[in-house]
Amino acid sequence: MLLDIQNLHLEFRTFDGTSKVLAGVDLQMQRGDVVGLVGETGCGKSMTALAIPGLIPMPPGVITEGRVLFDGEDVLAKSPSELQRFRARRLGMIFQDPTTNLNPVYNIREQLVDAVLYQRMDQQSVPGRWRGWLPSAKQIRHDAFQRAVELMALVGIPDGDRRIEEYPHQFSGGMRQRVLIAMALAGEPDLLIADEPTTALDVTIQAQILRLIDGLVKKLGLSVLIITHNLGVVAQTCQTVAVMYAGRVIETAPVRELFRNPRHPYTQGLLKAVPTANVRRGELEGIPGTIPNLTQPPEGCRFHPRCPHVMDVCKAVVPPGYRVGAEHTAYCHLYAEGQ
Amino acid sequence: MILRVYLLRRLVLVIPLLLGLSLLTFTVSRILPGDPVGLAAGPQATQEIREALARQFGLDQPLPVQYLNYIGGLFQGDWGQSLYSRRLVLDDLRVFFPATLELTIAAVLIATVVGVPAGFLSAVYRDKLPDQVVRIIALFFVSFPAFWLAMIFQSILGVTLDWFPISKRFDVLLAPPPAVTGMITVDALLKLDFNAFGIALSHLATPALVLSFGSLASVTRITRAAVLEALDRDSVRMERALGIPYRVILTKYVLRGTLIAILTIVALEFGWLMAGAVLVETIFDFPGLGLYAVESSLRLDFEPIMGITILYGIVFSLINIATDVAYGIIDPRIRYG
Repeated sequence: MLLDIQNLHLEFRTFDGTSKVLAGVDLQMQRGDVVGLVGETGCGKSMTALAIPGLIPMPPGVITEGRVLFDGEDVLAKSPSELQRFRARRLGMIFQDPTTNLNPVYNIREQLVDAVLYQRMDQQSVPGRWRGWLPSAKQIRHDAFQRAVELMALVGIPDGDRRIEEYPHQFSGGMRQRVLIAMALAGEPDLLIADEPTTALDVTIQAQILRLIDGLVKKLGLSVLIITHNLGVVAQTCQTVAVMYAGRVIETAPVRELFRNPRHPYTQGLLKAVPTANVRRGELEGIPGTIPNLTQPPEGCRFHPRCPHVMDVCKAVVPPGYRVGAEHTAYCHLYAEGQ
Repeated sequence: MILRVYLLRRLVLVIPLLLGLSLLTFTVSRILPGDPVGLAAGPQATQEIREALARQFGLDQPLPVQYLNYIGGLFQGDWGQSLYSRRLVLDDLRVFFPATLELTIAAVLIATVVGVPAGFLSAVYRDKLPDQVVRIIALFFVSFPAFWLAMIFQSILGVTLDWFPISKRFDVLLAPPPAVTGMITVDALLKLDFNAFGIALSHLATPALVLSFGSLASVTRITRAAVLEALDRDSVRMERALGIPYRVILTKYVLRGTLIAILTIVALEFGWLMAGAVLVETIFDFPGLGLYAVESSLRLDFEPIMGITILYGIVFSLINIATDVAYGIIDPRIRYG
């Protein structure tokens, strides 16, 4: 098991009250998996993703329960310096807006070479500014530069050895996202976490970036966790999908299975709300109601106030995961034994 | 080069600015009530002596003619003459300006060297003990008036501890090093005379410290705000996610992102300190431009007032141009044009 998130609970404690952002997230990934984590804005998918590298701002965040195991190691128990090494060696992460995620005042070479140096070397042996003039340091920096140029080619930026000297504002949005992917891949990570990687890009560029990620999965055997609210992105890239609602994963299934045979009432509603090319289906259906206020979430299943199949048990007991098919799990009382 | 064209254009644009400044100062100083000729000639002077004096300085001419005469002289390098001491304004400025410049540079250096790290520390340890300590000290320095701090420092550093002299620029019994720049510390270093450098520095220490305090607080607070803003950027989260050590993120990526804000406040403070040195120069009997300006104003001595104003105008413009050029070096997105 590459990634095993068990019953993760996260709260944000602010002056306005305690917001129970995550309430028992379960998520598993095997090496080589491409998993999509989908859900509406505010459902906690980004917070789940940020918990893996330990980047949740604390305070105000407090993890009250649960474990995050990466290759069997407990991530939440790591010290800050262990976390930093863990992020450098084992994880790669890209975010939504490629414009703000690159530092505007350094050129790509500075940023990419730093990513290479700090992800592939011991922190102490990276030649800093003071030792930069040593011949050994020059060799190290030269090697890192070569590697950076290779990475530019890997992510499909033509003319990498020339463009690496340019600044972020001289790149287009899609090219910037490619640069960020190159930085994330510099240390040959075990897992790439892509938090809404295409949301800020237009549709053609989105397709290019998804194809790039797809290609990298095949070429490098990369494991990828894609966080998105876009079901199309999931259908295009992922093998497995986890659907989140109001701070919990409520259904996981292989991607085809989920689209063909959604079992959780929320997933069913969500798929009915997706427009298709099939015009005869007529009007789109929405899910009645709105997402709950996480400072005072509903008891039991958080979806119960909006659920068409609500039962008494839903209002009191948080549903555990029930197997509803091969590798298909739904966190819904409808599938309890004897229902 | 583009930079050269840009610099040339900015420098040319300073000329109309200075003309406007001089016209304004000229008008304001002439419409003020008062009798400068009478002051200069003394109470016993007869009407004939006064008229002769006025004629000698061109004060009997209509105002527009006086102004044109002054500007015409300026373009030929004639900055005029003091009504009171009969000394050439340019000679006085040569003596007094380097003193104030030296004092201001020292104060700005103190404010920057102490204020930037303090603000940085404060932001990195936001709401923790180091932050609280820095903020309280900064508030303290902002809140106390400079003249009070000056006297306290004179009394503690100068008298009780007897570390530093409390007045003048140099030991009155010794000859300062030959004037090259007019800044005694620099002149001493140019002659490699470290003894004289020490003496000049010890005279400079207390006034520079007192002058720096107001700016020290501003620089600290602006740096703190800029660092907090820079820390909140997405790129910092990305750099952390990449596993770059926090120390490197702070000293390389965050620092560079705050330089524009720091440079702006330091440049502004430089201007303000230069103009605000009067009080400190008075208290420390430090013979600089501020003291000269106050004395000239009290006597309505027109030409020194004009000269000081124009000199300040030139210095402010040059600081502004230098700052704008530096912006472009710090941030590659900024284009000259």
